[in-house]
Amino acid sequence: MTATIDAIRRGRIFYLFVMPFAVLTILFGVWPILLSIQVSFTASATALRPEPTYVGFANYAKVFADPIFLASLSRTLIYTALSVVANLAFALAFAMLLASALITRGNLFFRLALFLPVVTPDVAGYVVWRWLYDRSFGALNAFLDIVGLPAFAGLSGKDTAMAALLIAELWHHAGFYMIIFLANLAMRDRSLEEAAHIDGATAWQRWRYVILPQLRPALIINTVYALIQFLKTFTVVVVMTKGGPTDATNFVSYYAYQLFDQGRYGEATAMATILFAVVIVISMSAYLIGERGARR
Amino acid sequence: MRMRPSDILLRIGAYAAAGVVSLVFLYPYWWMLVSAFRPTRAIMSNPLKLFPERIDFSIFSEIGRIGGVDLWVYVWNSVLITGLSTLLSVVVTALGAYALVRRPDLPGFRFLRYGFLVAIMYPYMLLVIPVYIVMFKLGLLGSHAGIILFLALGPIQFFLFEQFFRAIPGEVIEAAIIDGASEAQILFRIVLPVAAPISATVALITFLLNWSQWFPILIVSKSPDTYTLPVALLSMNSELGSNFQGIMALAVLTTLPIAVLFLLAQKRVMEGMASGAVKG
Repeated sequence: MTATIDAIRRGRIFYLFVMPFAVLTILFGVWPILLSIQVSFTASATALRPEPTYVGFANYAKVFADPIFLASLSRTLIYTALSVVANLAFALAFAMLLASALITRGNLFFRLALFLPVVTPDVAGYVVWRWLYDRSFGALNAFLDIVGLPAFAGLSGKDTAMAALLIAELWHHAGFYMIIFLANLAMRDRSLEEAAHIDGATAWQRWRYVILPQLRPALIINTVYALIQFLKTFTVVVVMTKGGPTDATNFVSYYAYQLFDQGRYGEATAMATILFAVVIVISMSAYLIGERGARR
Repeated sequence: MRMRPSDILLRIGAYAAAGVVSLVFLYPYWWMLVSAFRPTRAIMSNPLKLFPERIDFSIFSEIGRIGGVDLWVYVWNSVLITGLSTLLSVVVTALGAYALVRRPDLPGFRFLRYGFLVAIMYPYMLLVIPVYIVMFKLGLLGSHAGIILFLALGPIQFFLFEQFFRAIPGEVIEAAIIDGASEAQILFRIVLPVAAPISATVALITFLLNWSQWFPILIVSKSPDTYTLPVALLSMNSELGSNFQGIMALAVLTTLPIAVLFLLAQKRVMEGMASGAVKG
């Protein structure tokens, strides 16, 4: 005990340095999370009072019995799976193209074109996409009409709304995954490719067995980031669809927010806790699967 | 080395693919810009026109008041909130990450680091909901201060500083201690001068990220008086019978400063974001 106090006394200047960071982390990080978990065990009507009524796991039971939530959860998982695959495949393909010997001049222009949407305010980007898809204002259907392709229902179609969101989100995020792949590609050992080439490996074999294994670090990072990113998809829904048409894009975080907006704090925070658990379990397992593969 | 005809074809194909994809990615910006200068009726009759009929800035005076608040208030809020939260973020995160890297053994430091890591894993929009309750309890709802404080913490800032401080060789600091330097002297004379470039990178990235923020600002605000440009854009976009040309003009105002800043500092931004992510 005295040893601890002594350590604190001698390290007091470091406590001074860390103080503002600690205050912000506790006030706007740790405390809200604990509060959120606490509220998830209380009755919504009393949640904000000094003495809330505790209801045990009733909110969780209510959430798991709610067909809208269950549909929303499976919709979120499907959307996440599709988005992760689409974004990573696209980003990897484009990074390979830019890293290849085929493209020398203009490399920076292509990089900038794909990365600019990453730093563009997401609200502004999605607002523009929302109107691009519009049937009367939008450029997309006007273009499809000119080249003689059938119209794309976009955000107004029950079956196309999710695809429309996926495309807009890919536009916003793919550049980020691309630069991670490019950083990894720049660090690879090129002599291995030459050796494989001399040994008579085809281009496909060189890519599959020489280059791809070296991209494992970028693949793990991107997969974990993309999983976290798309599991909590929110802004694009608020800007473009508000969960519609008929719940076709009502993902968990948006549904939880709607409940919060209606004052159903208990259920909203229970949903938040469930989504948090899902995010942790899925991203940790993706990470562990990736790491185990690396050791083999 | 002479190229074979098949190589030339391959090359043309590669440029065509990269070019088409890049133009598709850039087209929304062009469309936004052109639409901001075209009357709504003109866009409806021909959405694909590549240039406006005429250059006319009157739309910006037309959207001079949005939601009962002057446009320049949103601009000012964006500059104020983004600028101050960036400054705060750099100072607070640099000092915090430095202390945590130098003395991870001190009581409570390990807990603090884990607390921070869990907080950044928590789905952001769901963290914001309890933050509303915290702001309510602290009496910060509806204030600029509440928004600025909340935006001052972020994962990429912390990881960039942590990575940088870890890379400072221990011998440099030990030598200074042997020479009798105090911890304050080590920080101000040795560490901070070499941390200037990384601080610039963190400031740049934080500015870009915080300019785009909207949800925490919407939640902490009690009225449009504390809205920034993206929040104003969102509320304008949600109105019924919306003014399409006005929305595009506001989107241009929201995007343009950030696009210019990014293009001026693109190398630093892309490298910084990549290395901050690789660490996390």
